[in-house]
Amino acid sequence: MKFLLARQAAVVTALALLPAAGEAIYFRDKISWRSAIAPSEMVTVEQARGWGDTAIWVDARPDEEFANDHVPGAISLNEDRWNELLPQFLAVWAPGKKIVVYCSSLSCNASREVAHRLRKEAQISDVFVLEGGWEAWLKKNR
Amino acid sequence: MIMCLGARAELKWEQTAIELHPAANDKQAIGHFKYQNTGKTPVHFKSVHASCGCTTAQSQKEEVPPGDKGEITATFNIGDRTGTQVKTVTVETDEAVNQKTVLTLKAEIPQQLEVTPNFVFWKQGEKADTKTINVKVGKDFTVKHIKVTSSTPDFQAKVEEAGSGQFKIDVKPQDTNKVVASMLTIQPEDSQKVFYATARITNAPSVPVAPAGPTAPARPTAQTH
Repeated sequence: MKFLLARQAAVVTALALLPAAGEAIYFRDKISWRSAIAPSEMVTVEQARGWGDTAIWVDARPDEEFANDHVPGAISLNEDRWNELLPQFLAVWAPGKKIVVYCSSLSCNASREVAHRLRKEAQISDVFVLEGGWEAWLKKNR
Repeated sequence: MIMCLGARAELKWEQTAIELHPAANDKQAIGHFKYQNTGKTPVHFKSVHASCGCTTAQSQKEEVPPGDKGEITATFNIGDRTGTQVKTVTVETDEAVNQKTVLTLKAEIPQQLEVTPNFVFWKQGEKADTKTINVKVGKDFTVKHIKVTSSTPDFQAKVEEAGSGQFKIDVKPQDTNKVVASMLTIQPEDSQKVFYATARITNAPSVPVAPAGPTAPARPTAQTH
């Protein structure tokens, strides 16, 4: 009886894992909507504020949200208008600057995508993603 | 228990994941997630929420009577995004079970040219060496020649065919005495689509950065090929 139960449990577990395995194969080398990011590439509001003038704040949210409000001095750089906005960002970038990219909240992914493209396409280092995004900044500053 | 479940409202989705292959110039990718209420009571949508601001999702109706069919339309605005994009839409209903369903929209955005890096710079006073930008033609595309135009005469850009659908753009500043920037426009032969790279002489790191009002490099006026 015990053996039968154990076998049934094993079968149910295997069936439950099938969709996950399928998804893992289907999306194997893709960036998901919550792409993983190394902890060393994340930065808290306090840490980023501590960098003072050596940091450039980059707002990865859509234009309307940036127009509504943003971190003082931040530069808009989103993927909706990447080709147009990137040169504007590069015009103010300088070697040695730290880039702090943020989007709306903890669950958004735009900042990760923008940070990834800055590293990969423009080959800029010292690019960080702000933990908690704009929501976290608001909590600490308003 | 089976009879009890059968009497419930139940939204059956034709598919919860859709893969789209938009054309190179498409502005949007649209997915239609079809459903049917196979239960015996109406289903009400409580919320339909997309994972990012670039995606909108609409339901045709708020209430789905038993037996009725419908769809959630997810519209992904491509913008300047490239490569594989995965966006989700979370649908919440008042069903007794499976109240939350995550619909996945995957779009493979074709990229005619991959330009890496799309930014080359020299520090002021640094030796004016040549720096190389690599251009790779995307799969499913054929590009035999590219034309490169610099927006200012401060930089020279020379194209070299590297074979196997690859090109090298050698960029060299006239000098590195003054802070200047130039936009390099890269255009595949027989194509209207243009790609950009930036070349710049930067300040020393200690110089403060302007807090606002960034200025882009001037638009192309001179051709250096």
